[in-house]
Amino acid sequence: MGCCYSSENETTEQDPDERKPLIPHPNPVSKPPNGTDWITTSVPSARTDEQALLTSILTKTAQNIIDVSAADSVMMEQHEYMDKARQYSTKLAVLSNSLPQKKALALPSLTSQPHQVLASDLVPYSDVQQVSKIAAYAYSAISQIKVDAKEELVVQFAIP
Amino acid sequence: MESTLEQHLDDTMKNPAVVGVLCTDQQGHNLGCRGSLSDEHGGVVSVLAKQAAALTKDPTDSPTVCLESESGNILVRSHGTITVAVHKIAS
Repeated sequence: MGCCYSSENETTEQDPDERKPLIPHPNPVSKPPNGTDWITTSVPSARTDEQALLTSILTKTAQNIIDVSAADSVMMEQHEYMDKARQYSTKLAVLSNSLPQKKALALPSLTSQPHQVLASDLVPYSDVQQVSKIAAYAYSAISQIKVDAKEELVVQFAIP
Repeated sequence: MESTLEQHLDDTMKNPAVVGVLCTDQQGHNLGCRGSLSDEHGGVVSVLAKQAAALTKDPTDSPTVCLESESGNILVRSHGTITVAVHKIAS
């Protein structure tokens, strides 16, 4: 239900420019700007746990930061923004139209005239008894279902 | 195997007022169906029975849900781990 038909495979005939981030990642290898090597993959054993934890926090933070000022100055003009916005909304409109509308399947023959149904006689008790009998029979029939082994699942090869 | 259940469903359909019958498990998987009720209805039927059972405090009391319409009734009833729906037309 929650799936909106997202798929990584549907990349056919798509503009590669669509997926280009607006701000390129300035430090793709997560190097801190000041050059010091924060990311030490092997923490020396002499360090305390606290220091190791601090290092990992620093590493994570450095990975998550996108330094906008250090980014390459790929400035976008106003009309480029507008173009991109229009391009995206057109694409979305096309995609949402092509999505199949999934309708919940209704049980057959619901009434359009409720007053007629409400004014009619009550459901006969015999019907209620009948359905509970059918359910009880069905339950007993299902409990009889068992694996009917006709041949051995494990066979011995005739190894001399 | 399941021939007893299939036979039971066939026998139920022999009743002239019955136009559809469906048997489903607690998850809505269809165990067998005939007539107007098809395997797509399994989920709705099992959920209806489950919701109705949640209304009563007595766990041993299994309610019968009846959907009434001018052309007939659909009665939904649970028994143990299964739920049965019977579509009956007004006789």
